[in-house]
Amino acid sequence: MTRALTLLRRRLVGSIFVLLIVVIGTFLLLEAAPGDAVDAYIVSTGGDAGMIELLRHRWGLDQTELTRLANYLWALLHLDLGQSVTFSRPIRDVILERLPNTLLLMGSATVLSFGLGSALGIYAGARPGGFRDRLLSIGSLALHAVPGFWLGLVLIIVFAVDLRWLPIGGIETLVSAKTGLERAADIARHLVLPVSALGFIYLALYLRMMRAGMAEVWRQDFVLAARAKGLSRRRIVLHHVARNALLPLVTMLGLQSVQMLGGSVVIESVFSVPGLGRLAQEAVAARDTPLLLGIILTSAVLVVVINLLVDIAYALLDPRVGASEAGA
Amino acid sequence: MSDFRISRRTMLAGSALLLASTAMPTIGWAQTPKKGGRLDVAADSEPRNLNPAIVASNGVFFISSKIVETLAEASFDGKDGLDPRLAVNWEGATDGLSVTFKLREGVKWHDGKPFTSADVAFSALQIWKPLQNLGRTVFKDLEAVDTPDELTAVFKFTKPTPFQLIRNALPALSSVVPKHVYETGKIEDNPANNAPVGTGPFKFADYKPGQYYRLEKNADYWGKDQPYLDEIVYQVLPDRTSAASALEAEEIQLAAFSAVPLADLDRISKVPGLKVITKGYEGLTYQLVVEINHRRKELADLKVRQAIAHAIDKDFVVKRVFLGYAATATGPVPKNDPQFYTADVPTYAFDVARANALLDEAGYKKNDDGKRFSLRLLPAPYFNETKQFGDYLRQALAAIGIDAQLVNNDSAAHIKAVYTDHAFDLAVGPPVFRGDPAISTTILMQSGIPDGVPFSNQGGYKNDDLDALIAKASETLDTAARTELYKQFQKKVAEDLPLINIAEWSFISVARDTVRNIADNPRWAVSSWADTWIEG
Amino acid sequence: MNLLRRFLRTPEAIAGAVILAALFAMALAASLLFPGDPQAIAGTALLLPFQDWSLPLGTDRLGRDVLAELFHGARTSLAVGLAAAAAALAVGAIVGTLAGFAGGLADEVLMRITDAFQTVPSFLLALAFVSIVGPSLGVVVAAIALGAWTGPARVARAEVLSIRERDFVAGARVIGMHPLEIAFREVLPNALPPVLALSSVIVAAAILTEAALSFLGLGDPNRVTWGGMIAEGRAMLRTAPFLSIIPGVALVLTVLGVYLAGEGVVETTAAMRGLS
Repeated sequence: MTRALTLLRRRLVGSIFVLLIVVIGTFLLLEAAPGDAVDAYIVSTGGDAGMIELLRHRWGLDQTELTRLANYLWALLHLDLGQSVTFSRPIRDVILERLPNTLLLMGSATVLSFGLGSALGIYAGARPGGFRDRLLSIGSLALHAVPGFWLGLVLIIVFAVDLRWLPIGGIETLVSAKTGLERAADIARHLVLPVSALGFIYLALYLRMMRAGMAEVWRQDFVLAARAKGLSRRRIVLHHVARNALLPLVTMLGLQSVQMLGGSVVIESVFSVPGLGRLAQEAVAARDTPLLLGIILTSAVLVVVINLLVDIAYALLDPRVGASEAGA
Repeated sequence: MSDFRISRRTMLAGSALLLASTAMPTIGWAQTPKKGGRLDVAADSEPRNLNPAIVASNGVFFISSKIVETLAEASFDGKDGLDPRLAVNWEGATDGLSVTFKLREGVKWHDGKPFTSADVAFSALQIWKPLQNLGRTVFKDLEAVDTPDELTAVFKFTKPTPFQLIRNALPALSSVVPKHVYETGKIEDNPANNAPVGTGPFKFADYKPGQYYRLEKNADYWGKDQPYLDEIVYQVLPDRTSAASALEAEEIQLAAFSAVPLADLDRISKVPGLKVITKGYEGLTYQLVVEINHRRKELADLKVRQAIAHAIDKDFVVKRVFLGYAATATGPVPKNDPQFYTADVPTYAFDVARANALLDEAGYKKNDDGKRFSLRLLPAPYFNETKQFGDYLRQALAAIGIDAQLVNNDSAAHIKAVYTDHAFDLAVGPPVFRGDPAISTTILMQSGIPDGVPFSNQGGYKNDDLDALIAKASETLDTAARTELYKQFQKKVAEDLPLINIAEWSFISVARDTVRNIADNPRWAVSSWADTWIEG
Repeated sequence: MNLLRRFLRTPEAIAGAVILAALFAMALAASLLFPGDPQAIAGTALLLPFQDWSLPLGTDRLGRDVLAELFHGARTSLAVGLAAAAAALAVGAIVGTLAGFAGGLADEVLMRITDAFQTVPSFLLALAFVSIVGPSLGVVVAAIALGAWTGPARVARAEVLSIRERDFVAGARVIGMHPLEIAFREVLPNALPPVLALSSVIVAAAILTEAALSFLGLGDPNRVTWGGMIAEGRAMLRTAPFLSIIPGVALVLTVLGVYLAGEGVVETTAAMRGLS
C-alpha cells in the first residue's frame, strides 16, 4: 500500500509538469496560427476596420501573447478555465455539457471493441493458425483499414435511411421530455451506430493483441503442464491461456482511451453527436484558444487519471513493479 | 448576410431565374392554412450571437428573423421590392437628409410591453450605427432619430444619403430590438443576445448547444391568424451529408441554404414526398469572383488579366461546378438584380488561343517546359464550390502556361492571408450582392481601404476614375441618375478587370411536400415564416 | 534465401507482399502510364466505370480520370505513409536513445515531454497542426509524425536501458569514446529492431490519418491522395458510389497489405533471433 502511495505521489508531481507542457505547447501552437478568433469570426459577418479593432479589444486579443498566457495560467491556478470566445460562456460549462456524451460514446465503444475484440481473440487464438483464426484476424484488419467517416456514412445509409431501424444521429430525441429509463433507452438507441463505427475500428487491435498473447502463452510450461494433466482444451483456453493473455490488453486500454477522443472528432461530426471531439474541431476552426486548451486539458487529466488507475492496479497486483523505473 | 458558415459545407445553389423549370414550391392557394404542428429544420452552424441588430448575417437571420423583425422585408411584388413589417410606410426627404418611418400600431414585444418609435430610435443609434457589421457603413452619417409620437421615427443624416440605399438596406439591416431590455448594461454583454426578445411570430424557447434551437408560437403576434406553426426546431447537423439523410429518414422536414449538396439534388428530387425548391433566395445572391493581387507585376498588366478571363470557361463552371444551379456573370452586379444590372459591358469569351496570344503580347513567353510564370491560388474554403472552382481554375491556367499552386487554408487563415497579409496572387472569393452596390460591392474595387477589412479590395488595385465614380454614386440622390452611375461602374469594372466575375448563385431548399408557403419572398429562408404551415 | 522462404511461409505474408509489390508497381508506373497532371480534366464528368475504355474507371465530378488519380494516389499515399513513419521512427529513436542513455534529469525531461505528447490525442494534434500551418503534403506528414513518435521513443528507451549495461558499451567507455558516439554508434543500432517493428502500424495509421484529414477538408489540393478521393466522393455516396468505393478498396487493401507484410517481417526476424 505504501508503495502504491509513493507511486501515486511521484505520478502526480510528474503529471503537473506534463500538463504544464501540454498547456504551454498548445498555447504556442495556436498563437502561431495565421488568423485569430476575430479573423475566424468575421468570416461570417464581414465588417469594417473599426469593428474589427473593437472586437480584438473586447476579446482581449490586443494584449501581448505573454500577458495572455500569464493571465491564463494564473486563472488556471484558481481552477478557472476562462471564457469561450465562440460561445460567450464559461468554458467549464461548455465542456461539462459535452463531456458526458463523449465519455458515453468512448466508454461504450471501448467496451465493445475490448469485449468483442478479446472474446473473438480468444476464439481465434484457441487454435492459432486455423481457418477461424485467419478469417477473424484478416476481417478485423479490413474493418480497421476502413476510414471511420466512410464506415459511419455507410451505416447511416443502411440502418437509418433505408431500413429506418435507428436514428441518423444526435444523442437523444430532440425536445422529447423523456425521463428515466425511457430516456436511457432513447440514448442507447442513438448510440448504436456511432458506437459501432468507432468500436469496430479498434476491434482489430484487441483481437490481434489477444490472439498474439495467447499464442505466446500456449508455449509456456504451465500450459504444457495443464495439457499433460489432461485438462479439457476449453478449460485450458479459458482458465489458463486467455487469462494470462488478458493482462497486456488492460495496459492497452489506458493508451487507447486517448486515441479514441481523436477518432471521435470525425465520428461525432458524422453522427451529429454533441461531444468534445467535435467541439475541439470547432475550437480550432474558430481559433478559440482557451476553449481548445480547456478540452486538451480535460483529455489530459482524463488520461492521467486512467493511467494512474492502471498503474495502481498493477502495483497492487504485482509487487515487482513497485516504484521502479518501469512506468516512467 | 454573408454567413458563409451556414453553408461552408454545402454549397450552393441556383439562381432561381434560370431554373424555373425545376420543381416550384407548391403554394397552397386553394387551401386554407392548417394551424399547428412542429417544423423540424436542419441547421449547420450555431451562431455565437443571435442578435440580428448586431450581427446582420444569414446564419443569425436563419434563426432570429422569426423572433426579431425588421422595418420592412423583401418582396417579389411589393413597391420597390419591399413589404411592410414593423414600418407601414417610409418616405425620404428630397434633400436626402431625412427619412420618415410610420410604424405599425398595436405591436407588442414578447414580454408584453408595447413596441414604439423609441425602440426604433434606440436600435438605430445605439446598435445599427455603432455596432452592426453592415450598419456601421450604411448608417455612418445618421445623426439623430426624432420621435414626434409613438408611431413615427424620423432618421436625420448629416450628409445627403440616397433614399434608394436606405430602402435597399431595410430587409437586412433594420432589425429592431426592445429598448427596455437593452438600455441597462453593455449591449454586447446583454443576455438577450443569446435568447432574443422581439416582436416576431415566434418566441425564443430554448437552445441546447450542439443539438437544437427551439422557437415557440407567439400567440399575440400582430399578423392576423399568424403564425400557423406551433413550434420550429432547428436541429444542428454539422456533417454535410446529414441533412439529406435526415430528410429521407423523415427526421426533418426542411433543409434550407443548400444543406443538401448539389450533387445529391437530382437523386433526392426523385424521392417521393420530397421537393427541391430553387426559389426564395433571389435577395441573397453570391458571386463567384477571382480576386487579383495587383501588386504582382504580371497581374498588374491588363493583358494578363484579360488572358485569364478568356481562359475560363464560365459555361463549364456553371454546368460542372454548380451542376446548373447558377448563372454565368458578366460583371459586378448579378443578372437577377432588378434595379442596377446592365448587360452592356465588355465580355470575355472562352478562347484559349486568344488568351495565349494576349500573354505573348504582354511579353510573358512560354519557357521550355511550357510555363510562363507561377502563382499562388487561394480558393476560399467556405463553400465546396469555391474550392472546386479553384481546382478547375488551376487546370484552366495550366492550359495557358500559368502554373498555379493551390493553397488550402481554413477560413480564419484564408481571411488573414488574403485580406490582411495580402499573401496571395489569385484568390477565389464568394462576395454577396446585397441589393445595392453601395452596401458591399463597390468596396471590392475601391482603393484606400485599411488592411484587414474582409471582403474588400485588398489586392492593391487603384483606379482614380473608378474611385471618383463610386464616390459620386454614393452621394447622388436621384434614383435614376444613381442607377445610371452604377451602370457605368459595371462597364468600367468589366473593362479594367480589378477582379473577374465568373458566376452568380444562390441557395436551394429541399422540403417535405407537406410544408406549405415556402419560398414566397426573395429572402424566404431568412424571413419570418409567419405564414408557413404544414399540411395533414 | 532462407530468410525469404521463412517469410513466405504463411499465406498472409504472401498476400501482404503481393499487395505491397502491386502498390509499389502502381506508384512507379504512374508517371509512365499517366504522364501529365492526374487532376487534368480528361473527359465527360461522372462517367461510370467500364463504359469508355480510354477511361476504364470512369471520371469524377469535374471529369478527371479516376484510374489516373488512383495510380498517382498510390504514389502520394505511399509517400505519406513511408515519410511519416520514417520521421516518427527517426525522432522516436533519437529521443528514446538520448533519454535512455543519458538518464537522470535529461531522461526525466524528455520522458515528460513524451508523456505530454501522449496525453494529447494524436489525431487532434494533427488536426490542429494542419489547420494552423496549412495543408501541404509535407505538413500533413509532419503532423502525423508528431503524433506517432512517442511509441518508438518509449520502445527505444526501454531497449537502450537494457543495452547500456552490456559489456561492449562499458568497453567503449573505457577506450574513451564520446558518450554521444557510444549512444548513436554502439547502442542505437542494437536497439533498433523492436523499434522498426512498429513501422507497419505507423505506416497504416498515417495513410488512414491522411484520409481523415482530407475528410475534414485538410488535404493538399495539389496532390491526389486516396483519402482525398474518398472525401470528395462521399457527397456523392448515393449517386456515384464508385467514386469513394474504388479508392476506398485500394486504401483497405493497402493498409491490410502493410499490416500483413509487417507482421510477416516481425515473425521472420523473431524466428531468426530465436535461432541465433
